[in-house]
Amino acid sequence: MTAVAPVTPSAPPPPPSNTLPGDGEGVRGRRARRRLTPYWLLLPAGLWLAVFFVAPLVYQASTSVQSGSLEEGFRVTWQFSHYTDALSTYGEHFLRSFAYAASATVLCLVIGYPLAYMIAFRAGRWRNLLLVMVIAPFFTSFLIRTLAWKTILSDGGPVVGALSALHVLDVTSWLGLTGSERVLATPLAVVCGLTYNFLPFMILPLYSSLERIDTALHEAARDLYAKPVTTFRKVTFPLSLPGVVAGTLLTFIPASGDYINAQLLGSPNEQMVGNAIQKQFLNVLDYPTAAAMSFLLMALILIMVSVYMRKAGTEELV
Amino acid sequence: MTITLSGVSKTFGDFTAVHPLDLTIPEGSFFALLGASGCGKTTTLRMIAGLEEPTSGSILLGEEDITRLPPHERPVNTVFQNYALFPHLDVKENVAFGLRRRGVKSVSKQVAEILDLVQLGELSRRKPLQLSGGQQQRVALARALINRPRVLLLDEPLGALDLKLRRQMQLELKRIQVEVGITFVHVTHDQEEAMTMADRVAVMYGGKVEQLGPPAELYEHPRSTFVANFLGTSNLFEAEIVFREAGRREGASGAGAGNGEGTGSGRAKGSGEGTVVAGAKGTGKGKGVGEAKGIAEGKDVGEGEAEASAAAAGRASGEVSHAGQDSSSGASVGGELQVKVPGGDDLLRLPLDRCAAGETEAGGKVLIGVRPEKITLAHTDDAGSVPEGRNRLTGRITDASYLGVSLQYVVETSACPELTVYEQNIERDTRLVPGEQVVLHWRPAHTFALDAAQDVAAGEEAL
Repeated sequence: MTAVAPVTPSAPPPPPSNTLPGDGEGVRGRRARRRLTPYWLLLPAGLWLAVFFVAPLVYQASTSVQSGSLEEGFRVTWQFSHYTDALSTYGEHFLRSFAYAASATVLCLVIGYPLAYMIAFRAGRWRNLLLVMVIAPFFTSFLIRTLAWKTILSDGGPVVGALSALHVLDVTSWLGLTGSERVLATPLAVVCGLTYNFLPFMILPLYSSLERIDTALHEAARDLYAKPVTTFRKVTFPLSLPGVVAGTLLTFIPASGDYINAQLLGSPNEQMVGNAIQKQFLNVLDYPTAAAMSFLLMALILIMVSVYMRKAGTEELV
Repeated sequence: MTITLSGVSKTFGDFTAVHPLDLTIPEGSFFALLGASGCGKTTTLRMIAGLEEPTSGSILLGEEDITRLPPHERPVNTVFQNYALFPHLDVKENVAFGLRRRGVKSVSKQVAEILDLVQLGELSRRKPLQLSGGQQQRVALARALINRPRVLLLDEPLGALDLKLRRQMQLELKRIQVEVGITFVHVTHDQEEAMTMADRVAVMYGGKVEQLGPPAELYEHPRSTFVANFLGTSNLFEAEIVFREAGRREGASGAGAGNGEGTGSGRAKGSGEGTVVAGAKGTGKGKGVGEAKGIAEGKDVGEGEAEASAAAAGRASGEVSHAGQDSSSGASVGGELQVKVPGGDDLLRLPLDRCAAGETEAGGKVLIGVRPEKITLAHTDDAGSVPEGRNRLTGRITDASYLGVSLQYVVETSACPELTVYEQNIERDTRLVPGEQVVLHWRPAHTFALDAAQDVAAGEEAL
């Protein structure tokens, strides 16, 4: 992920003074205005985030430590047991979410990297067309696309038939990923849905970091006795790491909070934490528990991401 | 290691980047491929490196055919344009890259040695982006040299440096080449760079080698207008061959040149110019057997001019004998060409071996060239003091500029409206100001002649 560069409002050199002597006020005013320019530029986004991100977050934080019921109303009682309760009740959902999201991320990387590589280095004049095709699914709604997967993976459909005939389902059902005769409502279906839906978020950052690599570096590596595979391992892949990091984050984070895929393609056994939160908010109407779960999810993701970023050694990246 | 390219060509789609090319790069030499962008020099280099596969032909390294060898199997390393240093590796790892790929385990000693050679010892832990252009250039050089390649290829290695640093690196590259003794093949568009460093230069133009030789030979004796203009500057102007004497271009047609009992006078074709040739002097040996008539027939008979020249030559002869049949290969000694420029009173002379034109019969057109610094200016009043035997032209100064180390004059002559002259800034003749009439004179041996059927300005815009 790119670090936000600190905005240092350094004073620009004084403009050539075209004011009359004694008109010092005008020059100073102009200079002060210039110094404020960065803040003006920050204003729209700052306001937006304050109203639609910070305020709800604070509100939700307070909700998570309230107690009461819908009838009696909720009051802040600093009751932190929602957090521990949520973890003990829905620990499985949390684990499942992260496992599914991680699997989908790895699959996205495995599928997306070769494609991004191809588009960046080999596509020639097809490059733009291929990029459009990568983002084309966004022209349809997320929900519709996920529903389409329901049809694709439907019982007795061509995909299931083919997988069954090839005995792939025997293996996957032995691994507990699918049923012996169905894919829908199994972990595999949910992971497939997640992979499909978040693939563009992997491909685009990968593409942009690969595309920036000077092809002369490939030639330099080959000239220095590196075989094509070594060239990839020692030059191309290390230089694409920023894209790998960005892509995995952009895939993993939304995937771990997703609930649509689990709801449409999974069964109650594949429920992710998003489904549980949704249920608490909309069905059980236990707002404090729902808020606590949201915060837990956020905190866990933050921890995992920061550990990952440290492992990836971002300062090594160009 | 000697590199031999035979019949090597490269086409990209419809575009021919390199026409079939034969080139031998001797072992241990500093060889430059010089040309403007798009002339095929980089493609040639890349084919030697293996980064481009030749469309035809073969490349030998010593005795070994490397034409189809992938780049990582060639004992050849490249210093890339813009260096192509690996940004994620520090200087040490960049330099060690080639050694590590070949399985060398302890690289530290060799890396330290090579970094000393390029004077970068203390920077081995820096990343390329933390280095200046000149330092990056040295890293690129060290990264290639550490592998002890049998040939080092340099693709515009100094192009990104500023002028002062470039000069310094030129000398340094030369020093390193002498020190390591490896064959260097250097691609550049900078003629000064090529001349400073290389001991042999191939000037390329339009996918072909225009001329090949040591820098001094290319400069003193260009064989095409492109070379004449691309390496330094040349004054080029058209002239008509009046008389050809002796020379190594003997042969059936050569025998007929310039001799006979012609009686013609004046030109058959009316450009209104007077008859010439009186100045033709015979110094040739042997028996002349040529006939003026023969020349006229040999050429396009319909062209009166040829006849006239033949006749003119004939008139001049009589006592002139012709050594055209001299069969010894050293016949060029003493061979001379005399030409006439439009409106010029005197004939210009030049040694026959400095004529690169195919057409050297009397009446033929050639382009006469002379470098600006070879010309001496004399004020008209001093015309009498110009030594005998020098080529002269008269003209009027139209522009004079003071360049410090030299003075540059532009002189309008009948031969050439803008003749450039450089005079060393030693004793300035204060009379030489725009508007003054002057005599330009230079040694015949500093004159060269080129085929007239080419673009006079070729290579000028390429600068």
